[in-house]
Amino acid sequence: MGETPNSGPETPDATTHFGDRMVAEADKAGLVEGVFSSVASRYDVMNDVMSLGIHRVWKDAMMDWLAPRNGQRLLDVAGGTGDIAFRFLRRAPAAEAVVCDMTAAMLEEGQRRAEAAQLADRLTWVVGDAMALPFEDRSFDIYTISFGIRNVTRIEAALAEAFRVLKPGGRLMVLEFSQLPNDGLQRLYDLYSFNVIPRMGKAIAGDRDSYQYLVESIRRFPDQDRFADMIRAAGFEQVKYRNLSMGIAALHSGWKL
Amino acid sequence: MSDEAAAPPPIDRRMLEALVCPMTHAPLTYDAEAQELICKAAHLAYPIRGGIPIMLEAEARKLD
Repeated sequence: MGETPNSGPETPDATTHFGDRMVAEADKAGLVEGVFSSVASRYDVMNDVMSLGIHRVWKDAMMDWLAPRNGQRLLDVAGGTGDIAFRFLRRAPAAEAVVCDMTAAMLEEGQRRAEAAQLADRLTWVVGDAMALPFEDRSFDIYTISFGIRNVTRIEAALAEAFRVLKPGGRLMVLEFSQLPNDGLQRLYDLYSFNVIPRMGKAIAGDRDSYQYLVESIRRFPDQDRFADMIRAAGFEQVKYRNLSMGIAALHSGWKL
Repeated sequence: MSDEAAAPPPIDRRMLEALVCPMTHAPLTYDAEAQELICKAAHLAYPIRGGIPIMLEAEARKLD
């Protein structure tokens, strides 16, 4: 808000490369589901390529900080193909997880994974909107959202819903791409992300526009401190963050006390 | 009384009980035959497809 969206025209390098492939700002929210439907089956492969495999390290770092315990009930929103839920359940063999995503195709892909079968009795899959969750108040111990919150149209509404469905004493943890603390590094990273990732998207998933959108949405997401303030504004306390890979991604943690 | 319905993929009862209408937060009624979750307050029927409840207002069937 207040700030000019950092889409095509504000990044001259990217504009020349992508020209009329740029997506109009107003159309983006509606395109998100299309993005994920179109990349569902190759989504994890693409994540590997985009982050050079590092997203796995980040997700493990998320679990280290979260320290899953038996008896906990996790809600993983934008949980897509189940990556976070599988990790959580493997670390806590008597915990339960609900994976909620806007896109049925992503959940169906998750259900087909081998881990999904092994963990089936502790896993459920629900199509739902982060801004209007189909769950009762105070019904989860942990709420996670991993590389999903920047795709939500109104982040504040998603955080309010996270607060609502968490039990008192419950914890929010968000893994998301973030901003590098140093302008030079950020510039280099922008060059990589705006020039390389959409091309890889085309080569691997046959879908340049979707990955173009992903890159733009990463650049526009609030930085670590601004996002921490948004989490506090939703009612969470003890809000902290940890940078991953120097701030290419960040983990934010908050408690409903 | 009778046997469990055999046709649709099994739905976890506990999970169904944990779901509420995303619009009203009211509890839902499960229609096993139609494979729908009904919110009387919102006059909406949410479909269950392939065992996955689709809890989006845009996907729900409006009830009269």
